[in-house]
Amino acid sequence: MRIVIIGSGEVGRHICQQLSGEDHEVVLVDRNADRLKSLEQNLNILTIEGNGASAGILEQAGIAKADLFIAVTDIDEVNLIACIMAKEYGVLRSVARVRNEEYFSGASPLNEHRLGIDLLINPDQVVAHEIIRISEVSEAFEVVDFASGEVVLVGYQIKEDNPICGITLADLKDLRGLYDFVIVAIVRDGETIVPRGADLIQAEDRIYVVVRRRDMAAVEDLFNLWSTAPKKVFVIGGGRVGFRVAKAMERQKVDVVLVEADPIKCEHLAEHLSNAVVLNFDGLDAHDLLSEGIDTADLVVAVTDGDTTNILSSLLAKYHGAKKCITRISRPDFIPLLGKLGIDVALSPRLVAANMILRFVRRGAVLSVATLLGSEAEVVELVVSERWAHVNKPLKSVDFPPGTNLGAVVRQGKVIIPSGDTVLKAGDRLIIFSMKKAVPMTEQFLAS
Amino acid sequence: MRLGTIGALLGWLLIFLSAALLIPIGFSIYYADGIWQAFVISSAIGFVLGGGLAWSCVSGPEIGHREGFAIVGFSWLAAAALGALPYYLSGAIPGYLDAYFESMSGFTTTGSTILERVEALGPSLLFWRAFTQWLGGMGIIVLSLAILPILGIGGMQLFRAEMPGPTKDRLAPRIQDTARILWSVYFLFTALETVLLMLAGMSFFDAVCHAFCTLATGGFSTRTDSVAAFHSPWIDLIIIIFVMLAGINFSLHYRLLSGDWKAFGRSEELRFYLGVGVFATILIMLVNIVFGTYNSWLDSLRYGAFQAWSVLTTTGFGTADFDQWAPACKFTLVALMFLGGMAGSTGGGIKQVRILMFWKFTRVQIRKLIHPKAVEAIKLDNHKVQAEVIQSILGYLSLYVVVFIVATLIVTGQGIDIITGSTAVIATLNNIGPGLGGVGPCRNFAGLPDLSKAVLILCMVAGRLELYTIIILLIPSYWKDVRRPRWRWSKT
Repeated sequence: MRIVIIGSGEVGRHICQQLSGEDHEVVLVDRNADRLKSLEQNLNILTIEGNGASAGILEQAGIAKADLFIAVTDIDEVNLIACIMAKEYGVLRSVARVRNEEYFSGASPLNEHRLGIDLLINPDQVVAHEIIRISEVSEAFEVVDFASGEVVLVGYQIKEDNPICGITLADLKDLRGLYDFVIVAIVRDGETIVPRGADLIQAEDRIYVVVRRRDMAAVEDLFNLWSTAPKKVFVIGGGRVGFRVAKAMERQKVDVVLVEADPIKCEHLAEHLSNAVVLNFDGLDAHDLLSEGIDTADLVVAVTDGDTTNILSSLLAKYHGAKKCITRISRPDFIPLLGKLGIDVALSPRLVAANMILRFVRRGAVLSVATLLGSEAEVVELVVSERWAHVNKPLKSVDFPPGTNLGAVVRQGKVIIPSGDTVLKAGDRLIIFSMKKAVPMTEQFLAS
Repeated sequence: MRLGTIGALLGWLLIFLSAALLIPIGFSIYYADGIWQAFVISSAIGFVLGGGLAWSCVSGPEIGHREGFAIVGFSWLAAAALGALPYYLSGAIPGYLDAYFESMSGFTTTGSTILERVEALGPSLLFWRAFTQWLGGMGIIVLSLAILPILGIGGMQLFRAEMPGPTKDRLAPRIQDTARILWSVYFLFTALETVLLMLAGMSFFDAVCHAFCTLATGGFSTRTDSVAAFHSPWIDLIIIIFVMLAGINFSLHYRLLSGDWKAFGRSEELRFYLGVGVFATILIMLVNIVFGTYNSWLDSLRYGAFQAWSVLTTTGFGTADFDQWAPACKFTLVALMFLGGMAGSTGGGIKQVRILMFWKFTRVQIRKLIHPKAVEAIKLDNHKVQAEVIQSILGYLSLYVVVFIVATLIVTGQGIDIITGSTAVIATLNNIGPGLGGVGPCRNFAGLPDLSKAVLILCMVAGRLELYTIIILLIPSYWKDVRRPRWRWSKT
């Protein structure tokens, strides 16, 4: 597939890396020659220097032959114009990043459908959404829905004092009672392992579990984890993300404290929020944070524009006893490191946006995809075709490609957590955990 | 730098070459020259060594730019070492160093030989000699990129180390596709020339071998007298045309073939290259007429044009013993030796574009003396050339001179006369083939001392990979942060 991307920022870079790694033909357009040069040296892509919204440059990039157009420059207007132009050149699908909310309020006569853009994404909105989703399960650092919410993939960090440390997966399977679950992956020291029965769970592992939504509480009980919705939330940073999170929490009748250093912003926030307490001091002011009771918070969300402030205030809160923290960081390379420091969830808006675009790109044979932050893996939802070689055979006799793990089977709306005797039928939707490298192989495997 | 990655990729390349070593067996059996065992044994050795390396070394997640240099540099050294085995094992070339010289001369498309009589080799070895040139012409790594999926990761690091060149030319977003396009064009031209040579009266075997060595700008012939042995003006003409084509950037060929008729017209480098070639042809023709070397002006044109284009594109085929020509002609040829083909062609040498830019740079320097406040932009194909590109070209030229002087010093230091010694270095460093004097077109490199041969072997590979890729391997700090290979059997 030929893909033209304009904008070589963090999002563009991440998408390029991912898509070129999957053997797509990627052309990247940007104005900054230096950035292009360094990217071209490391990635298997073609780069073109110039304005992404100019017809000449787009033609040079081979837009007429492109199947997908992704506009992720820093300027909303350039992204929109480029996408409109791409449509004129006959590109099948286009994606634009738009930060300014006024451009995509539903009431506007120029919405994305009119413009022919398939996906408009706003990183701030996506991150706020992600934060709210994760906050609902207080122990998890990641929650992804599959099969319209029937099945969830949940990521947990296993602490040292957890009794399941040192138990093999096979033993754990015997422990389980009426409820089924599959541990599809373990992330240990930044390395993703697709576990087999003999693998042990160790302290500090991050485990990914696929489970029915209604069994989630029981499974958490088994793992000695408890999920209760947070009652007291601290939001540090009153930017777009902070405001959205505070607003959503407020609606859920949660006590929200919002900390923002800029007095003018504070006034604006106080005007638009009703129950939340808006405080005007710097997020690094430890004394003020403690006197406002950050130590008793169930959840701390640090989403200022400064990485330092976010990391330090999260660490402070955790040190004094806050239960969980979600930290925004703009440099995704540091995400694996933050887990070691004790930060529960680190989110990079750009990475989240890039992952959302990737999810959209994969939609085709694949029903939905989740890219797991800070790991080498993805979870894909695929349908078993009638022509598949292994239809009506028990799972024991089917060799899935290495690096993959079947998490759940959805048959006519019913969820089956698979075992060796499960028989796969045509039309089943499979939720498969797969290392990124193995994704094309898995697709091929299920198509054969 | 991870030795594991280097080892694994080197292993794959050896396996690939071992497969190539099986092809001459067909010729050996067909012509019954009785040396097919040499190829079988060589191939088996390559399979075992390559397979062992590829199996035991665990390659890292990606190829960094440092590993790229080592992989390409060692691949060429190893390829020549493996390619030398058939010569040595069949007994055709008794000494391994001589066999290595011949093999390296093949892969680097140099065309220098240590053989007294080429015909003594037998058809299968002659084919192998020509085939190594063809493989090396477009580049063994580029070829592997085109067909081996294993090199897909980090392929661009290797591509850059093997086909450096001052200008960038990507034909497709993916490097594998670019490699495939280049090889297809190369293959197409080779097939076309084979057919034309057969129509002009060559046998199929000779036509294939000569087409291989023409497109690769290599210059190995199946005859000791090179192309002169065929006594055919038509063959001369076909070869002149195809060496000229081989000296042109293959991206331009592809653009032209895919319907971009103006591709040739836009290239300043192409005009410069053709200009140099035509000018040299006329100059040599005139000098030969003045000195009465040949009986007719037509002969002067025929031999002048052949020698000029053959040397300019660093091919090294001969139809005349230019060592017997007038000194002015000899000097013109030596000057042409440095120029080489265009960047992105199969030709060696300094490359036309570097000379062209150097000339433009010098012109700007002189104009600045006249107008000290003048603001000048050096342009190529109507685009401004970045200062760093000019700097890298100047650096390259200085390095070229240094390498030339050091190598010549070592060779002449062993008692070789200055004409023979310096032209031997020029002929190998620029991947041409024959030099003057003791290494002239009708002589060979067999008489040189071993140390000189070793130096010339290094010159060939350094010249083929445009110096840096080989020179960097000799720098101690390059090897500072070497990480030991991770073996397949070792636990993590």
